[in-house]
Order: sequence, then C-alpha cells, then structure tokens
Amino acid sequence: MAPPALVIAQKDLRQRIRDRSALVLGVVAPLVIAALMSLAFRGAETIHLTLAVVDLDHGAAATGLVGALHGPALRDLVTVVDEPSIGTASTAVHGGHVGAALVIPAGFSQSLTGGRPLALTELTNVNNAIAAQIAEAIAQSFVAQVNADRLTVATAVAGGQPPTGAAAALVDAHLALPVATVQRAFGAHQLKIISYYGPAMALFFLLFTISFTSRSFFVDRDQGMIERILSAPLHPRSVLAGKVLSAFVFGIVSITVIAAVTSFAFGADWGSPMAAGLLSLVMVMAVTATTALVIGVARTQRQAEGISSFVVFGLALLGGNFVFSAATPPLMQRLTLLTPNGWALRGYTDLATTGGGLSVVAGPVAAILVYTVVVAAVAAVLAPRALTR
Amino acid sequence: MTVIALMGVSIRRVARDRLSLFFIVVLPVLVILIVGASVRGFSTIRVGVVDTGSGPAGGQLTTLLATTPGIELHRYGTTADLERAVRRSSVQAGLVLPDGMSAAVRGRSAVELGLVAESANPTQQAAVTAVQSVVARYAGEVQAARFTAGATGAGFEASLALARQTAHGVAVVSVVSRQAGTTLTTLPQGFSYSAPTMLVLFVFLNALAGSAVVIGNRKLGMYERMLAGPVRSGTIIAGEALGFVAVALAQALLIIGVGSVLFGVSWGNPLAAAALVGVWALVGAGAGMLAGTLFASPEQATAVGPALGIAFGMLGGCMWPLAIVGPTMRAVGHVAPQAWAVDAWTRLLSQHGTLASIAPHLFVLAGFASVFLGLATWRLHRRLS
Repeated sequence: MAPPALVIAQKDLRQRIRDRSALVLGVVAPLVIAALMSLAFRGAETIHLTLAVVDLDHGAAATGLVGALHGPALRDLVTVVDEPSIGTASTAVHGGHVGAALVIPAGFSQSLTGGRPLALTELTNVNNAIAAQIAEAIAQSFVAQVNADRLTVATAVAGGQPPTGAAAALVDAHLALPVATVQRAFGAHQLKIISYYGPAMALFFLLFTISFTSRSFFVDRDQGMIERILSAPLHPRSVLAGKVLSAFVFGIVSITVIAAVTSFAFGADWGSPMAAGLLSLVMVMAVTATTALVIGVARTQRQAEGISSFVVFGLALLGGNFVFSAATPPLMQRLTLLTPNGWALRGYTDLATTGGGLSVVAGPVAAILVYTVVVAAVAAVLAPRALTR
Repeated sequence: MTVIALMGVSIRRVARDRLSLFFIVVLPVLVILIVGASVRGFSTIRVGVVDTGSGPAGGQLTTLLATTPGIELHRYGTTADLERAVRRSSVQAGLVLPDGMSAAVRGRSAVELGLVAESANPTQQAAVTAVQSVVARYAGEVQAARFTAGATGAGFEASLALARQTAHGVAVVSVVSRQAGTTLTTLPQGFSYSAPTMLVLFVFLNALAGSAVVIGNRKLGMYERMLAGPVRSGTIIAGEALGFVAVALAQALLIIGVGSVLFGVSWGNPLAAAALVGVWALVGAGAGMLAGTLFASPEQATAVGPALGIAFGMLGGCMWPLAIVGPTMRAVGHVAPQAWAVDAWTRLLSQHGTLASIAPHLFVLAGFASVFLGLATWRLHRRLS
C-alpha cells in the first residue's frame, strides 16, 4: 500500500483536476497570456527605418551625404526616399509615412569652409522615438567626419601652418576618423519577448499554487479532516506532507506543459532542457516550501488567503514577472535578487541568450536553493503547529 | 430605500474585509509605482567600459564618456563581465578599450574599439549612437593631432593638447532635431502612463474577483430568503449592482487621488474624466455581476477572474500601448472594453481631449455596460422568479 502522504496527495490532485479552476490557473491562463504577449510584440524585434531626405543644397557635401545614405552600408537598416521640400517631408513624418526626415539646408556645403557652418535638421515624430534615434545616428556619423576635418585644419593653423596650405594638405590626405568602434561578435542571442514572458508567466501562475494549496489545507482542517485522520493509525503530519506533495506535482506538471507549448507553438527559447529542467525543479521546490510556510504562519483560512496574496503578488512584482526587470531602476533590480522567481527569471534569460547549459544556471539554482532551505527550515518548525491549533 | 440598504451591505462587506482592501488599494498603487518607474523614459544611458591596459588614451576617452551629460558610466574588469551586463541589459552598450591603445593612437593606422551591443535591440541601438558620437569627438581630436604633428613636426601629445584647446574655438556642424509629429498617440511616459492604465485594469479585475460575493449569496440561497420578505427581485438586483458601482467608483477615485498626490498625474479635463470614470465603473459593475451569474463557485471566480481581467487588460492596451502592436492585434484588442477606455484616457492626457472628443468612446463603453448589466439582470431575474 502507498504511504498515506501519497494517497492524500493523489486525492488532492484529483480534486484540483476536477475543479477546472486549477487547469485554468496552471495551464490555460499562462499560455493565453504568453501568446498574447508574443502576438502583440511580433515584428517589434527587428528595426527598419524609412528615412526621407530633403536636399536643398545640392553642393559637394550634400551630394556626398545623400550618396552615403543610398549606399550599401545602410541598405539593411534604412530605405531612403527623396522629398522635395521641408513641407512635404514634415507631412510625411507627421502622417507616419516615413519614420524621420533629414533636411540639408541650402548653402550647407559652402558654409562648411567658413566660421559659421549650417546645421542639419532632423524632423522626427514623437510617436517614433526609435526612428528619431537612428536618423540622429546616421546624421551624427556624417557630421563627425566634417567636424574632425574642420578641427584638423584649425589645429594645423594654430600650430603655425598657413590656412590655405593646411586645407589643401587635408584634402590630399583623404583622412578618415582614426578611432572607430567595431561591433564585437557577441556570442549572445537577442532575448525574444516570448522567451522572457513565457517563463515569467509560468512562474507567476506557479506562485498561485501557494494561495490554492494553503487555502485548501485550512478548508480541510475546518471540515474536521484532521480529527478524522487521527482516528486512523496515521500521523497527522501525513496530511501536511500530502498537501505539500500535491503542490509540488502540480507545479512540475504546469511548468513543463507551459515550457513545451511555448517552445513549440510560439518559438520561446527555454535553453538547454536539462538546465531549464533543473531550474524549474528548484523553483517548484521554493514555491512548495513557501506554501508550507504560509500554512505554518496563518491561523485561519482567511489569514491564509491574505498572507498568500501578499506573498504571491509581492514576489511577482519584485521578481520581474510583470515588468522586464532590466528596464527598472537599479534599486528594483537589487530587490529582484531577493526573490527566488527573480533568480529563476535571470537563469532562464541567461539560458536563452547564451545557449549555455548547467553551468549557466549554477548561480540562480544555488540562490533559489538557499531560499528554499531557509524557508523550509522555518516551515518545518511552524507548519506542524497548524495541525494542532 | 431597500436598494440603498442592500448597497450599503455590499459596501460594508468590502470595507470590513482587509484582504479586498489589499486588492483595491495597496496592489494597484504598488503596480502603478513599479510600472511608472520602469517606463520613465530613457533619460540616462548606461554604458559599460572595460579597460585592461589601454594607457592614458583610454583614460582620456573614459573621462570624456563619464563627463558627457546623459551617460552613466560603469566599469567592468573583464570583457566577459561586460558582455554579461549587456546581455542582461544592466548596461545598454559596452566599450572594450584595446590594450596598447595609447601607442596605437600615436601611430598611423586606424584604432578599433570593441563595441558590445545587440544591433537589433532598440534601446541598445540608442546607447550605441551616444557612445559613437563621443568616440567620434575623441577621434576628431586624434585626427587633428596626427595631422598637425606630421605637418609641423611637433610631438603627438603636444599636438593633441593643441587640438583640444583649439576645439573650443571651432564652431561644430550640429544636427538639430525638430518635432514634425507632436500629437502623442500613446499615453505620456512614467506615472501618467501607469496610473490611468492600471485604473482601467484594476477596477475591472476587482469587479470580476468581487463576483465571488454574488456566487456565495447564490449558493447560500440568500436571494431566495430575501424574496420571502416584502422585496421584489428587481430591487435585489439593483442593490447588488449599485454595490458594485460604489466599490468601483471608490477604487477609481482612490487611484486618481493617489495618482495626483503621490505621483503628480494630471487627469485631464475634469468633466470628461469624471464621465469616463463613471461609465467605466458601470462597465466594471456589469462585468462583475455577469461573472457572478456565470461562474459556478467562488473558487472559480477568484481563479479565473484575475486571469481573465489580465488577459483583457493586455488585449485592451493596459500593459502596453496598442499603438505599438500590429493592425490586426489592435483591431482584435478593441473587442475588449479596456481598449476604448485607454483610448479615451490617451485623448484626455496626451491630446487635451474634452467631453466632446471622447464622446464616441463613452458611447461604446456605455454599450458594453448595458450589455453586461442587461445580461446579468436577465440571468439573475430568471433565477429569482
């Protein structure tokens, strides 16, 4: 015959499967929400800009800039369209037909040799900040060489060279900026939104197990189940063990189903199955230990609901299950690492972006285990008292 | 009078329950705080630097980066540390200064600095722009120094110092940015974004969770017992509905108050905002009442209600602006009443909207409220007669 705790856990799981709300919380809700996020942000992960150019100058420098914009280096990032006037370009930017516009003022090329050079104007739309930044980057990289050349002539003149000679020598030298940045091969994948929010939602709803299980313990207790069990040759701790075990099994099944569905249906990257599995396992253990602690601290069903709500939403908010934690202020990012789910999310993020294995999750796993051991130790002292109160 | 008494009972039940107060007051305020703080815009750009032996040249460039307004500099010991920081977005871009950079800068060949960022990531791209413009400024000085040193025979260091000194007197070609499109189609960033969207989210969510009370009353046969007295079923339903409306209004007013006082949110035209809050309370009340007649048990209400509320909130633009999603998702999103409410708040807060400009939204929301309340009344009435 199976140990009593196992029988109780089986009964609990059967009960939760029959009550469809468990299915909703454990599987349907996280999947629907992860799918919504994935659909909403589809296409937001690649950038392509349509840039309008208004050339009112047609001088040498302007022609060079327009040529560079049409050149092969920018082809993947930018589609360039010519606009005849500032007015038409403004309208196009305003209406969202182009992301941004670059205006080369009349007399621009001529002004570059004088003391008061004209400025390039960038027309942007408040609703398209990314296009504005890219247009700015392109304009700045052109302007940087112009400014360097102007500084070079001025410095040579300050160093005693005749102005005309310096300018002519500069033209002959064909200088290019001597210090430049080169994108390093980065060995990391971009974090896809579904690869963050898939695990984030799975963990968020996993946390609900704490509410569910602790509540059901007190419902059972209030119905006199412990007294009835005491009349049989069973230890009352079996009830507690059974409850905690059912929470554990439920958590494992829920997170596995979500990982499988988000991977195959939405292209989420959970990383190496072994590492993600280990991380999920310790996370479910942490949730199970927290459940036992809530049972130990609460005195009534109502208290269990209240305490677990605080714990569930507190952990979810701090751990970054709602907002991408790297986008939050530094203090918040430190607080994130006080939660097991925050560590787990960091682990899943590292797995998805590095393609690494067990070594990548060693830190998060250790941190979650420390949390689990501490919480479980306190729960082991407090929880049995719930049986006798 | 009986209606008022019934409404009073609902309100007292909520007010005495500390757990529902947590969901009505504490949770929304916390979420507004966290979401508001994380969509505060990108006023500072976090840049990481690794310098394992670049010499004085690296020091000069690092100082230039650190003193550039808007850049927050973080130093890392190894390239691996820097890459990890970029990957996790602790910094948005990283710069690896090569060993021996000082010697290379004095020479003739081009000097390459390693840039760590993902080109496909929008925020990192912005950081790259900022870093590149600082590097270009430094490169201009180096170019001037190399050229002058070659032309005059002065040393590189002396020429670099001269270039720096000269730079102050040379007018630079600048890039001026001008707004062509100034009509925001999303809510402003920061708390003006999080407060109205979370008001829309939580009033609805809380009403769905509150449906557990209706289910409890149904299960206990409370309504049937009331009917034994001189009370008509219409009065009972009206009393329940008013209770929902009162709680929703109270929650909305609390969020508006906290938003104004703690987070400095301006809620736009007062008359239009009041109308919007009123209609939204009716939508919430209708959804809560309807859920109360549809769910089988209070457990289902507390489990399915929040999940449903969050999903509708996402569809309707409470979690991210619908302006950034594709046209199909935007159209689908407007199946949820939340989308119309968030659109109306956007008009009020971003476009100085008035009662007239949000009238279409109010009309649609009133439609949602009538359908929800109508269905709920019909189902409850059928049960009670």
